[in-house]
Parts: sequence; structure tokens; C-alpha cells
Amino acid sequence: MKNFTNLANQIALDTRSLALRGLILDALEGGKRGHLGPALSLLEIIRVLYDSILVHNPKCVAFQDRDRFILSKGHGCLGLYAVLSDHGYFSNQDMKDFCSFNSSLGGHPESITLPGVEFSTGSLGHGLSVGVGMAMAARIRNENWRTFVLLGDGELDEGSVWEAALHASHHRLSNLTIIIDYNGMQASGDLESVVTLAPINEKWRAFGFEVLEANGHDINQLQEILSSPRYGDRPLVVIAYTVKGKGIKSAENSNVWHHKAKISEDELNALRFDLLNQ
Amino acid sequence: MRSKALSTVHELAKLDARVLFIGSDLGTGTLQNMRDELPKQFFMEGISEQYIIGFSAGLAKNGFIPYINTIATFLYRRAYEQICIDIGLHNLPVRLLASGGGMVYAPLGPTHTAIEDFSLMLSVPNMKVFAPADACEMEMLLRASIEDPFPYYIRFGKGGEEIVTTDYQFFDFNPKIFGDINSDAIVFTTGILLQHCLQAQEILRQKGVSSVVVHNPYLNNLNLSKTLSGVTSKPIILCVEEHVPRGGLFTQLLHELINLRKTNMEVFQLALPAFFSHNYGSQLEHLEISGLIGTKIADSVERLVKS
Repeated sequence: MKNFTNLANQIALDTRSLALRGLILDALEGGKRGHLGPALSLLEIIRVLYDSILVHNPKCVAFQDRDRFILSKGHGCLGLYAVLSDHGYFSNQDMKDFCSFNSSLGGHPESITLPGVEFSTGSLGHGLSVGVGMAMAARIRNENWRTFVLLGDGELDEGSVWEAALHASHHRLSNLTIIIDYNGMQASGDLESVVTLAPINEKWRAFGFEVLEANGHDINQLQEILSSPRYGDRPLVVIAYTVKGKGIKSAENSNVWHHKAKISEDELNALRFDLLNQ
Repeated sequence: MRSKALSTVHELAKLDARVLFIGSDLGTGTLQNMRDELPKQFFMEGISEQYIIGFSAGLAKNGFIPYINTIATFLYRRAYEQICIDIGLHNLPVRLLASGGGMVYAPLGPTHTAIEDFSLMLSVPNMKVFAPADACEMEMLLRASIEDPFPYYIRFGKGGEEIVTTDYQFFDFNPKIFGDINSDAIVFTTGILLQHCLQAQEILRQKGVSSVVVHNPYLNNLNLSKTLSGVTSKPIILCVEEHVPRGGLFTQLLHELINLRKTNMEVFQLALPAFFSHNYGSQLEHLEISGLIGTKIADSVERLVKS
């Protein structure tokens, strides 16, 4: 079996991924706070979704046949904002207003203030249930759009995730894809030191899902897995092994940068230095 | 009341494909007719209230109108955050049909008695909270709910309540007035205590004490401006509710009276106690102990009027 975590650590980022990280640092500079580590672990997943998987249109955000994407780990929103901004949902300049009073870009994503966000999230364990409802809505109406839900690995501690998983499988929602940002860390430490999730693949298989694994920073691999044709009637879960803080050495695998407030100019300069010196 | 509510959801679903029924492991045979006739609009999900609220939100976000039914406490206590965020924050037309309001499930103990539901649900932004008095009012409310984009919490009674709301043709969110507003006492109530208050009114009439009962099936905004503008005397006011003393109808009434500058009125309350009961028995026994049955309400009003 491949050691996806090692591969995720080793893979080099391309210029587009580095540029998106630059946008995230712009937001961090503006807001002087934010969840940096989670945004960097999930960035390639969201990039691939919006670049080549999701049916979406920044000029007509709410058209009926769009695919639905829910960022259930809402605290990773800086990654979503960077990709939405890059796709023209709003200006790159808006990133600098992150968390300011009148900004549309809050510390967790809100569908009411920011067109392009499908559903407001922030409290963990909500997104999958909502996603199951959306997938069911498409099925009732015989519509072909799909629903994608991005979960955090720490989020899997929430019982509501497994309530929703049971029902997604029971209803055989093959139009539902879950992606798990498996960076191996949660706020208070390594996953395994907080609550054991392993064997994660077997758990999801036992719940009736088709399970695939990927290096969560490998653009080609993610693209291949997420665009491959679906057969059968099971929902899909992709366990995307990632690195918390990926691409900024001083933030990698560091819970100091899970969330940080009152970020100083010196700290920001150090982050930018690391980003430029891969 | 529950039976009428569920059959009304079935009727609505036949007319409108957006209407869905979602149950949480309800008894065998619940809405079997609907399940057979409209299988795509009927869901009997597992014992997973948090999931069911999120599931319904996902459906409502895509144009459906889910009517969820299970035991009240399992909805509003267990899934409070999902109700607040998935439904309230997104302002989605999900209807929470809460079985066993108040002390209906007294024999099952405090895990099942819905004594603080008004308080919690009235705290959720965008949520509209209702306590109809009988099956007739329940049906009118559900028929009116179809085109309302807001989320609803609807408290059910035990069932078999005497029908007392037949004078009304449709549900209009306004208080229902039983009697002359210029009476010795104005009794405010909601839900199935309306019947008990009407019994009290009759007892009082026989004793020469006049009273008017103001039923408030819609609890967010009591809309009393018009009703109270006709008051020319200085009646005593009694609020009667099957709820803990704070956060329910009494709290709403105080807000309304203060907003209407009616602060010179004497206001009293009859409610459930502010603690969990560890007695079982029947709903009626609990109402009696709390002074919430007709004879006891009449005693309270008479004492207040004559004091």
C-alpha cells in the first residue's frame, strides 16, 4: 500500500498552488488572524474541484444544474476563498478585507454574504447531513447534478457525521462524494493521540461507501480519481492524505498555525519568506 | 391533533410535490397511505435527529418543504444547533412537528416532557413558534404554512382535544378572542390550555365574574395592539401556559405589554414549575398540581379579581 502521507509531504507544489497560497497570506495580512494550517491542507482538493470537476459558473452562481459543494470544515475557508477569488467569484483585492466588519469573507464561510458558498458552515459535523439532503433533492427530481462534501479528519469525531453516513449509504446516494482532508492533526494534537480513527478506510467501507485514497496535494491524482466514471449505487468517499500547513515550512504539521489571532508583521514576513523559498 | 396533522401533510403533499414528510423511526404504519401513494415524498429515517434536521435543510435549500415529525424533546433539545444553524441561519421552510408538547409524556419521565420548548425555539432567529389548541386549528395552520418561507416549530397536544376553534376559517397569526375584552379578567393562553381556560371562563361566569380568554397560537408576536386598544377598564391579567415560567408565553406577553406601554396592568402567571418533575402519572394530574385545569384557573382568577 502506498504511504500517501509521505507522498503528500514530499510532493512539490506548482506555481498555481503557490499563487493561491499567496492569496491566503493576503487575507491573513488583512485580517491579522485565520486558520492557516487547515486552508493549506485542503487547497489542492478545492482547486481541483473548481478547476476541473464541479459544474459551476461564477457569472451565474445559483443556476439549477450546478454541482453543490459544501465545505463542512468551514474553518478551512481561506482555501475556498482563494480558489473562488481566483475563479472570479469576487476580486482578489477582497481577500485583504478578510474578517473586517463589512467584508463578505468571514472567519467561516456564509452563503448569505458570499455568492458561491453553497451552505454556511463553521460548527463541525453539519455539512454531510445537509449534503445528503441535497443529493436526495437531485434524486427526487431526477436531476444529474452532484453533491460534494469536504470533511476534516478531526470532524469525524462528530457523531452526526456517522448518522449522515449511515443514511447516505442506506439511500444508496451514488450522486454524493465525500472528500476527507486527512491531515492527521486536530487542534489539540495528532489525531491518534486525541481519538483513534484508524482504520479509516475500513470504517467507511463498513458503512457502505466506495473508498478511494489519494495524495491530497497531487493535482493529477485528485483529478483522475474525482473525474473517473462512477458505477454502482454506493456513495464515494475519497480519503485525501494531506499535510497541515502544506507549502509553508514553518506552518507545516504545526498546530500553532491551526488558528492564530493577532498575527504580527514579522510572523507574516516569515510566512511569505517560506512560501517564496520552496 | 397529531393524526389530523399528519393526514393534512399527506393532503398537502398530494397537491404540491414540494411537500415531504420526514419521520424519525415513528411507529409502524405511520402515514402508510402516503408511503404507498407518494413514496418519493415520504421518508422514515433512523433515530438520528441531528442528521434529519441537516437532511431537511439540504432538501429545503433545493426547493422542498419538509415536514418533520418526532417526539418534541428529541427535536428541539437533541438537535438544537442543527435547528439554529442549518434551518434558522439559512431561513429555510422546514416544519418541525413536535409530538407530545408540555406534559403529554409525563408517564415517560422528564426526558420526554417538553416543558421549555417555547423558550428554546423562540430564541432561534427566523423560527416561528406555534401551539394550536385543537385539530381544527392545526389543520388551518398547516394549510397556511405552505407559502410561508420561514421555519416553523409546531407543538402538538395529546390528541382528542375538544374542538373550540371552529369559528375561524383560516389561520391568520392573530390572537383568538373568546368573550368581551372589557371583563374583570383577561386570561392569556396558548395550545391545549385554551380548553381549560374556556372551562374556567364558564365557571367564573356562573359566579358572576366576567373574563375574556385570549388564545395565542402564534407565539413570536402576540399582535395584541388591536385587542388591547379596546380595553377601557382595568382588568387583572393572568397568563396560563404549560411551560416553565420563563421564556414562554408569559415572557412574550411582558414584552408585548411593555412595547404597547401597558405597564400599568397587574399581570400574573400560572405555569409549570421551574424544575423537572420526578412524578409520572398523567398530563392532567400534572396540570392539576400546577393549577392549570379549569377549576383551578377559575379559583385563581376569582381570587385575583376579588383581592
